[in-house]
Amino acid sequence: MATPITITSQDISADYPNKTVKILTFSGQLDESNVDDEAKKIYKVIESTPKNLFLIFDFSNLGYLNSKSIGYLTDWYSRVIDTEGKMILAGLLPNVEDILNVVGLTQIMEHYATLDEAKVALK
Amino acid sequence: MNTQEDQIPASEKPIKITIILSTTAYFISGIRDFTFNLVKNVTGFSNQWAFRFQSIVDELCNNSIEHGSRPGEDIKITFISEKNKSLSVIVEDTGTGPKPKTAQEMYQAVEELKKNPWQIGIRGRGLAQIISKWTDKLDFEDLPTKGLKISIIKYLNPEENKQVSAPRINLGALDFNQPAYAAQPNNIGIGAPIATL
Repeated sequence: MATPITITSQDISADYPNKTVKILTFSGQLDESNVDDEAKKIYKVIESTPKNLFLIFDFSNLGYLNSKSIGYLTDWYSRVIDTEGKMILAGLLPNVEDILNVVGLTQIMEHYATLDEAKVALK
Repeated sequence: MNTQEDQIPASEKPIKITIILSTTAYFISGIRDFTFNLVKNVTGFSNQWAFRFQSIVDELCNNSIEHGSRPGEDIKITFISEKNKSLSVIVEDTGTGPKPKTAQEMYQAVEELKKNPWQIGIRGRGLAQIISKWTDKLDFEDLPTKGLKISIIKYLNPEENKQVSAPRINLGALDFNQPAYAAQPNNIGIGAPIATL
């Protein structure tokens, strides 16, 4: 059985003129047992808005992510940036931030302590 | 006959635990939980290092399952703890996997990725970055059975072993005592529908 993970999407574009803004909330853990299947869902979200997509990844309930998940994160980031969008992270738990630190991702991707701060940052 | 080892009190002898794990990756979360609890409660390493060893062991096992042992076979994970001194983790596969690699190939692959991190795609960060940076030694050895043995050791350094990591810019210091899985308020606002992907 795959490690439990739930990803929800909320469109908050109404608060942001001329932008498509979505919050993707992760609950659980991303690892080898589930990341390939879950990644397809994120690619669909990205492909559904070819331009100006602003994504907030709410990681406040994400307890773990492995190196392949980080690989997908970097790929999503590149795709969103290349189409004039933005991708930021919010609510990193200490162990998750530690992993992202060691691979250098926190130096590349904007990240905020809370979801509220991330939402303000996009305005 | 008394050996030197016999003269060491039992409480100070290295603790060795070996787990035989099926190649189905679905049990990996259980191994992570076990690793966290072992490191936190037995080794003398801090909470932060207990979390880090979760990643280290996860990445070692993923590598062996993907490359080293075919479906239906096992990998072997051995933990050797010398309390307040060091923790070693050894992972062995059977060499029957779809893409088995020799020790020499592994050394070269890791060195290549460490020198050229921009070449890392979806895969590659596990050994070249996470394990290399969080351990003091990473070794590969060809087994007589044609499998591969990957060993790491991390020495407990009191300075590194402090609970809280260096302060983040504008965000304060990380607190590893906070529960990893505690639900936090999800103030995403009302009105906009939420869809499960």
